[in-house]
Amino acid sequence: MLSEAVAEATSRRGFLARAGRLLLAVSGGGIVAGALAAQKAEAYHFCGHIFTTGSCPHPTGLPRVDRNGFPLRAADGHPVDDLGRPIDRHGRPVDAQGHVLLDPDGNPLPPGPRTRVCEAAARAHHFRAHIDGSWYRCCGGHVRRLIDCCGYVKNRINGDAALTGYCYRGRHVFCVMYYDSKVKC
Amino acid sequence: MVGTVRAARHRGRALAGGAFTLGLALGAAALFGSLGALGAALRPGHVVVLAAVALAGAAALADLAGLRVRPQVPFQVPERWRRTMPLARALFLYGLLLGAGVTTFVPAAAVWALLPLCVALGSVPLGIAVGLGFALGRALPVLALSDETALAERPQGLRVLRVLAAASLALALVAGTARAAAPVAAPASDPGAAGTDLVWQEPGVGGILLRAGVQTHLPGSDPAIGDSFIAWHTGDAVTVAASDTLQPVLQVTIHGVEKLAVSEKWLAYRAAGPSGSEHIGALALSDPSSTIAVTSSWRRGRLGRPSLTGDVVVYHLALPGKSRLFAFDLATRRRTLLRSSRRALLLSPARIGGTLLYVRLGRCSQQLRLGPLDGNGAGRVLYRLPPLAGQDLGHEHGHTEQGSHVPCPARPKPTKRSLWTTALSETSAYITVLHPSGGGHTTPSLLAIPVPK
Repeated sequence: MLSEAVAEATSRRGFLARAGRLLLAVSGGGIVAGALAAQKAEAYHFCGHIFTTGSCPHPTGLPRVDRNGFPLRAADGHPVDDLGRPIDRHGRPVDAQGHVLLDPDGNPLPPGPRTRVCEAAARAHHFRAHIDGSWYRCCGGHVRRLIDCCGYVKNRINGDAALTGYCYRGRHVFCVMYYDSKVKC
Repeated sequence: MVGTVRAARHRGRALAGGAFTLGLALGAAALFGSLGALGAALRPGHVVVLAAVALAGAAALADLAGLRVRPQVPFQVPERWRRTMPLARALFLYGLLLGAGVTTFVPAAAVWALLPLCVALGSVPLGIAVGLGFALGRALPVLALSDETALAERPQGLRVLRVLAAASLALALVAGTARAAAPVAAPASDPGAAGTDLVWQEPGVGGILLRAGVQTHLPGSDPAIGDSFIAWHTGDAVTVAASDTLQPVLQVTIHGVEKLAVSEKWLAYRAAGPSGSEHIGALALSDPSSTIAVTSSWRRGRLGRPSLTGDVVVYHLALPGKSRLFAFDLATRRRTLLRSSRRALLLSPARIGGTLLYVRLGRCSQQLRLGPLDGNGAGRVLYRLPPLAGQDLGHEHGHTEQGSHVPCPARPKPTKRSLWTTALSETSAYITVLHPSGGGHTTPSLLAIPVPK
């Protein structure tokens, strides 16, 4: 992951990303490379996003996801379901203090649906979701992974022509999202 | 107009007044009923309804303030009809024109407000009811006034009429809002309804039966009512009793029983199993020794409370990936998927005939919905609460808005109140609303919402 960061810090070309990954894997310099990549990110509507493709639809707005692509609340990284409710690790809704919400009988309230953000976008816009490549920036003191939600689409979520970005095999970027790692930068 | 009707009455032709009223009623019913049908076809959203209500409020204020009615219609009824037709026919046609409301001079801004309100109502019967009320309002002054100049030449007369129109509109708005959801009891949850009887669970107390305005404490918890039976349980001991006398007709033991539903032939239940699981089962009242597995076991909190009508149990199954409503026919052992959603949480179905009541917790609102059982055709929202979660700006501070998206464009203010269990009778829908009370616990209250015909 961090080795990608160096290669992708100056270019969004997938080829360079993969070549850089290979070279850095050989040299074993991933951690050093991650540190080198910790540069101040330029951005559009969120830190690290360096082009105009819009956010993927997300239950709370900013398209923050966990490492598996499920939605997190951007403000604090708390997992949320598709209704935007904070949830515990079993998917049960919790209150602001983290207590599982209970019905009058003491049973936990039912879990709401929780969908990977890219898959939800794909379902809503009728294409098959692919996560191909990513790029990395330093945001808020941590390494942020910027993720393209790819598909065989002609138009992006903005409504105009979709770009190649970090999508492979003829796929294009439909929308973008991000994962905030715990790696300091 | 007043003079024409008066002249007809004085000549002993009372039929003419009736013809005028009939024309008014038909014209108004046709117009406002059509607007209701248009609303039913278009199913106007929340924004349209709010806009209609706002317009009604503005119209009421305009009438109270005596502002000019705008837009205005510069037409009068054709005077020639009075001379060329029999008086009864002419008055009937005058009534038709005046009943349409906006084909001649519009005396009050409230008239304009009624048009979008009828579209927002989205119901032909309600639209016709509004039209008949409007016709009555137009007929009474004409039939009752002895002096034609009272409205036509004296500003006080028209002023009084407009104040009355404003007051009627304001009252209708207030009454409509209040009628939308009437509190039944609190704390109270898990309603059941049969005819005019209503049962619910009062936390920490037990089952309550509301019959003819009188509340009766039942000798058990989690009551259910259906057809001619009522049921409750005390621990694992379940009692089925005659609904009218409350005399037990069947007593069975169901281990871990939590919730009940009863009909003329069946008793359905949700029971806790080993290691925190739950399942729904049923038994025939005529043969309680053999049980039917309606569902397999699911983790606690996933299966909803069963609701039973005739041979069919309906229930929800909420999983993190998908939320579904099912019907299970106890006579044929056949399961049918009624509704499914990957984005919303579908809960607590209740059914009468081909109509299904259920809760839909979506990202941007919570809705109590009533629709066809098979999911085809338009349903309607009987009650609505704001969403359960807020949203951020869609972009980070200090960054451009370009490319940002938020889930709910209208930015509704979230609520902590949550819609929960339901019941349905021919005339009313019942819904439990959960209020957080700290530590994850919730306090329920019970609301009743009239079911439109």
